Amino acid sequence: MIFDPILDIFRGKAVTIPPLDGAFRPNTALDDAPVVAHMPQPDNLVVWRGRVVASSGTTLQEPNGEVLQNYSCDVTALAASSRGDLAVGLEDGSLIVAGQALTRPAEVRCITALAFGADGRLWLANGSATLRPSQWATDLMMKNASGSVWVYDGAWRRVAGSLAWPYGLLPDGAGVIVSESWRHRLLHLGGTRPQPVLESLPGYPARLSPAEGGGAWLALFAPRNRLIEFVLQETYYRLAMMAEVPPEFWIAPALSSGRSFLEPLQCGGIRMLGVHKAWSPTRSFGLVVRLGADMAPNFSLHSRANGTRHGVTSVLEHQGQLLIASKGGDCIVTGGHTETEGD
Amino acid sequence: MQLRERLQAWRYNLIPDHLIGEILTKRWTDNAIPFLALVITVATFGTLIPGFFKPTSLQASTRQLGEFSLVVTGLTVVMLGGGIDLAVGSIFALSAFAAVACFFIFDLPVWVAFLASLSVGVVFGAINGYLIGYLRLRAFLTTLVTFIIGRAVYDILVVTFASLVQMSSAQSNDWDFIGDGTALGLSVPVWAALILGIITHIALTRSRPGWHVLAVGGSRRSAYNAGIKVRRTVFLTYVFSGLCASAAGFLIATRLSGAGPGTGQGLEIAALTAAVVGGNSLGGGRGSVAKGMMGAIIVLVMTNGLIRMGYGTGTNQMVLGLLLAAAVTIDIRWLKNRHKVLNEVYVAPVYLAMGPTQSAEPNSGTPYALNNRLSQADAIGLGALEGPEDVILDANDHLYCGTRHGEIVRFFAPDYTRSEVFAHVGGFPLGLAFDAKGNLISCVGAMGLYSISPDRVVTKLSAETARSLTSIVDDARLRDPNDLDIAPDGKIYFTDSTKRYDAHEWTLDSIENRATGRLLVYDPKVGRTRTLLDGYRYTNGVCMAHDNKSLFFAESWACRIHRYWLEGPKAGTAECVIRDMPGYPDNINRASDGTYWMAWLGMRTPSFDLSLRHPGMRKRMARRLPQDDWLFPNINTGGVVKFDETGRIIQTMGDLTGASHAMVTSMREHKGQLFIGGIFNNRIGRFTIEGADAGWSGTLSYWGAAK
Repeated sequence: MIFDPILDIFRGKAVTIPPLDGAFRPNTALDDAPVVAHMPQPDNLVVWRGRVVASSGTTLQEPNGEVLQNYSCDVTALAASSRGDLAVGLEDGSLIVAGQALTRPAEVRCITALAFGADGRLWLANGSATLRPSQWATDLMMKNASGSVWVYDGAWRRVAGSLAWPYGLLPDGAGVIVSESWRHRLLHLGGTRPQPVLESLPGYPARLSPAEGGGAWLALFAPRNRLIEFVLQETYYRLAMMAEVPPEFWIAPALSSGRSFLEPLQCGGIRMLGVHKAWSPTRSFGLVVRLGADMAPNFSLHSRANGTRHGVTSVLEHQGQLLIASKGGDCIVTGGHTETEGD
Repeated sequence: MQLRERLQAWRYNLIPDHLIGEILTKRWTDNAIPFLALVITVATFGTLIPGFFKPTSLQASTRQLGEFSLVVTGLTVVMLGGGIDLAVGSIFALSAFAAVACFFIFDLPVWVAFLASLSVGVVFGAINGYLIGYLRLRAFLTTLVTFIIGRAVYDILVVTFASLVQMSSAQSNDWDFIGDGTALGLSVPVWAALILGIITHIALTRSRPGWHVLAVGGSRRSAYNAGIKVRRTVFLTYVFSGLCASAAGFLIATRLSGAGPGTGQGLEIAALTAAVVGGNSLGGGRGSVAKGMMGAIIVLVMTNGLIRMGYGTGTNQMVLGLLLAAAVTIDIRWLKNRHKVLNEVYVAPVYLAMGPTQSAEPNSGTPYALNNRLSQADAIGLGALEGPEDVILDANDHLYCGTRHGEIVRFFAPDYTRSEVFAHVGGFPLGLAFDAKGNLISCVGAMGLYSISPDRVVTKLSAETARSLTSIVDDARLRDPNDLDIAPDGKIYFTDSTKRYDAHEWTLDSIENRATGRLLVYDPKVGRTRTLLDGYRYTNGVCMAHDNKSLFFAESWACRIHRYWLEGPKAGTAECVIRDMPGYPDNINRASDGTYWMAWLGMRTPSFDLSLRHPGMRKRMARRLPQDDWLFPNINTGGVVKFDETGRIIQTMGDLTGASHAMVTSMREHKGQLFIGGIFNNRIGRFTIEGADAGWSGTLSYWGAAK
């Protein structure tokens, strides 16, 4: 309508989100995928010395359930170098590389992702300057953009700051590709200025991992939701919600949902005649995207609103097998097909 | 409470935002904009031009107005029929010439001149009508062509015969009276316009041909399918328009006693502007004669006013053009977006601070703690049923429920595997109750209170109550009758949950949370319904107390149960017996041990409770998000709660898996078993209640063994 620009001043714009279309066309691939391992909240998957390792709570586990390491608090990020060193980020902000605590800049307290470059440098994503990794929902609801990306080659160097929750790292020859969750985009750092690689994602991007044959796998840990984006613009309601409502019942993205009747419900999520509609608006979702060598999305694997393999934070392609950690679904599944495919 | 919150509470609870939406639902709002334009135009030029309202000045303008209104009335009818007539200007001029020629050149009587000019109009109108109606040419181009041809013929005739008219000495008192005289203070053109306007209005609104015109304009195809002779109707609208234009032409001929090259110049644009500015839709089907008249006044006041203020023809034409452009834009945008505007502004939330509640989480140790008992219920009619809001059993143990298809379905005892459609009522049958004679009484959503006799005869008992004084939308109509119960004297006490939303949109009432629920009573002796209580937030279940001296009713969105006294010292008043529950109560029914069952249709969530204190947030949400994304109370988890007369909670059962009984809207105890219904469910649940009286049933409890 031609008067919309004028009327929008008084009534506010319609809240819109990118549609799940094209490469993001919904399917049930994640819910159909066979389970490799059940474990509570599997988070980060890496290959360390030829073995697949997953972080789960305070432990590092192999998919067969064997516990390799125990830490004092939750593991929040993992990376393994080609030389066999393991870098571990913890909830309390500490960083352990090859078994040794590594000193880090004072600003780094929220390690959300780690990655070793081909040159052996260690990249680190610091989600927020003030909050801990487990407080990610608070960071979003406070509309923070205090994250930063660092690189270590004997000394720490800050590559970029003022990022809205950097959550995934993929080093390339020239720098690193970072997933910036709250801005729904991938950025390339290393040039003179941050360069957007992929924007307007339909979810909140989490970790990146290299794919065979070029390109990358991107995990999106939660879907975008119109109500949540609306609440982000409602300052008074949002602040009151943060002050009065327990965080697990916020109108905020989640790794899993529908487990308590105290969680918010949206109209489309009403069970009709015993059916929970797959396309209903939801706070949690399972979504893995295959990005081509040009970082454009090729295809995606989904667990929809009525599925359970939600909250995927990390993907690993290893020996022709795709492993997907569903943090909200408490399991690791295998995606089966790893080849780039069309429709 | 913070200052901001208090201000919000005042702002949203004291200012009646909901009236905007209710006014917009009225058809007469279409007239509001042209009427406003009329008032502004007259007021502006009235103040700018000294002596504008003087009788002599008005007399001169009203003659012109009368002629102009005639033309606009004709054009309005064409536009209502979905067409357009640009030829009115040339018809007007030609018929004026016909009258002048007959009178001055051929020296014929006035009535012959009149008939001559009318026949010119009818012939031209018939040509237009034939081309457009029967040959189905484009109205715009066709009338443009006839306009040009007519104009050309007129120009030739005027040049050729002007001198003959000048030299004529024909005289007639009738001619002069029509052109100059007045009757009862009004000139002939004004009378003509008034009479024709009233006749046309009555014809359009109250006669078959008029309805046909509106139907054809509204939707040609539907009109054709309904058996209307579309072509003939279209044809007749052009003939009528020609007739009106020619009558106006005759009047100007008498007024000017001649016809010059300027007669009728630009009339088609002025008339079209008038019709559209008045609010007649260019698309057809919407409009009225009154709108055309309003437009005529606006346009004429504006053009005459501009002339008297010293502006030339160019300015005048430009103003007309701009006016037309504005009117067309508003017309199209308004028509197209009216329902969108209505959708956006209809939901008008109010402020409510819900009281703190006890937890209903399992293992919370409160009497409200939910468990998984309902998930173990046996399913009846699984997959075959859609939306059994309420369930009830008769003396023979047969099970009845309503469905969203407007049917009452009966399942046969003892195993309830066979079923039949007991009766088709329509609407959405909600609450059910048997009366003393075994009639099944039902609150039918969107319809009213209905009775179904044992031999399946459906009778409407009531669909209205008294209208309240301040209502804008008629609230006498029962919009969402929800549940009922019957007193021993046969009076039916029932609830109408909301005045704001229709039965199928009942969930939206939770977003708005406006207190418009009513408790009503239907007296079968006088056959009338009376409002007992008004102003509750979604009145829902109703249940007579075991001693029949009071009744309980649920106020869903406030999470409260009230007791309404029928006798005793508190008769006619209600008191709250249970407040601040963690769930939203639905139907209430008697239990065998002298207590009551209550269904919970959903659970409160902290985020929704908070939003109730932020009405502005909910209002913006309703405007900016599609409905599927709106924040709702959690109606995916319900339960069954047992309470006693004092309001003490005895037992709570739920289905936390959500697999079988996510939302519970009713339950009925019958011979030791509990039957569970849900408005969004696809089954009825049944399970045995431990320790219940296996001989007790609702019919026995209400009407005893003698039946």
